Amino acid sequence: MEILTGNELMSGATVYLDRAGQWVEDLQQARTFGAEEAEARDTALARTKATGRINSIEIETVKRVGDTIVPDRIRERIRAEGPTAPRFDRQHLDEDGHVSI
Amino acid sequence: MYRYDEFDAAFVKARTDQFADQVMRRLAGELSEDQFRPLRLMNGLYLQLHAYMLRIAVPYGTMSAKQLRMLAHIARTYDRGYGHFTTRQNIQFNWPKLRDIPPILADLASVEMHAIQTSGNCIRNITTDQFAGAAADEIIDPRPVAEILRQWSSLHPEFSYLPRKFKIAMTGATHDRAAIRFHDIGLQAATNATGDIGWQVWVGGGLGRTPIIGKEISPFVPHEHLLAYLESILRVYNRYGRRDNKYKARIKILVHEEGIDTIRAQVDEEFAAVKGGVLTLPQAELDRITAYFAPPEFDRINETRVDVAREKIVNPAYGRWLERNLNAHRQPGYVSVTISLKPIGGAPGDATDAQMDVVAGLAERYSHDELRVTHEQNLVLPHVKITDLAALYAVLVENGLAEGNAGQITDMIACPGLDFCALANARSIPIAQEISKRFGAPERQAEIGDLKIKISGCINACGHHHVGHIGILGVEKKGTELYQITVGGDATETASIGNILGPGFVAEAVPDAIERLVDTYLAARTTPAETFLMAYRRLGDAPFKEALYGAD
Repeated sequence: MEILTGNELMSGATVYLDRAGQWVEDLQQARTFGAEEAEARDTALARTKATGRINSIEIETVKRVGDTIVPDRIRERIRAEGPTAPRFDRQHLDEDGHVSI
Repeated sequence: MYRYDEFDAAFVKARTDQFADQVMRRLAGELSEDQFRPLRLMNGLYLQLHAYMLRIAVPYGTMSAKQLRMLAHIARTYDRGYGHFTTRQNIQFNWPKLRDIPPILADLASVEMHAIQTSGNCIRNITTDQFAGAAADEIIDPRPVAEILRQWSSLHPEFSYLPRKFKIAMTGATHDRAAIRFHDIGLQAATNATGDIGWQVWVGGGLGRTPIIGKEISPFVPHEHLLAYLESILRVYNRYGRRDNKYKARIKILVHEEGIDTIRAQVDEEFAAVKGGVLTLPQAELDRITAYFAPPEFDRINETRVDVAREKIVNPAYGRWLERNLNAHRQPGYVSVTISLKPIGGAPGDATDAQMDVVAGLAERYSHDELRVTHEQNLVLPHVKITDLAALYAVLVENGLAEGNAGQITDMIACPGLDFCALANARSIPIAQEISKRFGAPERQAEIGDLKIKISGCINACGHHHVGHIGILGVEKKGTELYQITVGGDATETASIGNILGPGFVAEAVPDAIERLVDTYLAARTTPAETFLMAYRRLGDAPFKEALYGAD
């Protein structure tokens, strides 16, 4: 299954498209798209691009392990959590950074 | 140091104002990201994994205390309290927000700094020997010519959209501390038959996915014609460099595919047309710029040597620091001091805002207000009286900056890797940290002697792994980070590219693998004076390959 992720314009923070069409910080809130939902995924992607508020948008493959969404790529696991060394909290959205599509 | 004139100040201010306007237009939705991206890159602003990254130029690695204090201020005010010094002698901040970029650039402009041409397909920050203007083995201080090249290359109308980025390094000493043979153009001070000093020119060197040692294109170019000669090289590259494939777009590929003789003939033809024209450097202008880099007024010091052996008995840590972190100065009674940014187990090249303030204070107090950034990600105080060393060292100890490991196994270059970089495939910093901890004991490092490890998190080789005595390249294979080990690289005047010895290792196995290489060297060396690199060149791959993978 897949999720949509990108970086928010103002903060550069890693964000995910959630089920309500908001772009949020928490990977676990991400909307997952099954193989049969490619059209919905591409529609959401196109609508997001049109806003110009999310950069570097990518389609990432993930698995569900229990209730947890786990990205397949190490890169995405690091994007979700922040750098491992030196350990830093990930970037957060500014107060005005929330984006709706 | 060079000081901005009215033109420089107006130019940087105009550029800062222009980019502030571009940021506002982006935030207002008047510019799309496709339109904005090249504009932000021209001002050193990348979008990385977690956030924006701002790369700030430190021209030829030279800074004043005031400038370093401003970097500390930026780290504290707009970022997360630290900065990362890079192999281009620049500094990067990993966490700025877009709206803060205009005030950061305004702050930088107030101390004659900027981020222009730290990205993009243009001529990047010119790097040089970190001991320039101080080293005892120097033929000429390269910084005046580096400054002239900076002015020539800044927003050069012909060379702002080259086929690919273009890097120049130069050294005024015979010992190459600037890796000039691995640059698009490398310049080495040289003397001709009549004793005049000029520049030996190398071209087509580079690292990345196709590592190539540069080739000599001219044995001697006089100062007055250097701009014309470099312009000729750039014109040939701009005309014939490939724009259809970014992986084949660097000048090293052009030189490799066409041959150095063909490129030399084309450059000579161009040079014949432009030589003696507007690019001729008048001696008066060279003298004017050189005056900015006049040596400080040194004191006459009676004490001209440091008794390292005695200090190693009295205070071993201080003795080790003296032994490793000093470089011979041209002025009797003075030395250049390397301030290691490689604490044991730390992230290579990182300095906190507080540490930057401390180093700025030390530069003012002990080094005539001068400091340098090294391409090996350390800082240098170039002009320190040997009578001040003990007091200086005490301050370094108090601030976690007193590691006496310059040139040793824990003095590693490491790129930011997959923890920060959008291009990386594997992490670099945690590998460096584990190796550092494994070999952190001072006695172990002293036993090993000179050994340079360089780590990159992808094939782009920002961590210079190809030229590490031991190089480590991170790759991703089926979701796992693997690390390929090379041996025998050398970035100096005896340049060589490291050999890949076999399959990669998982991260946890890397420190053990490095230890096996080191133990093989220690067992095989003829004397302690035979360095790792010398032993490798004598023995070849076989014993090191066996150490890593066992006998066939």
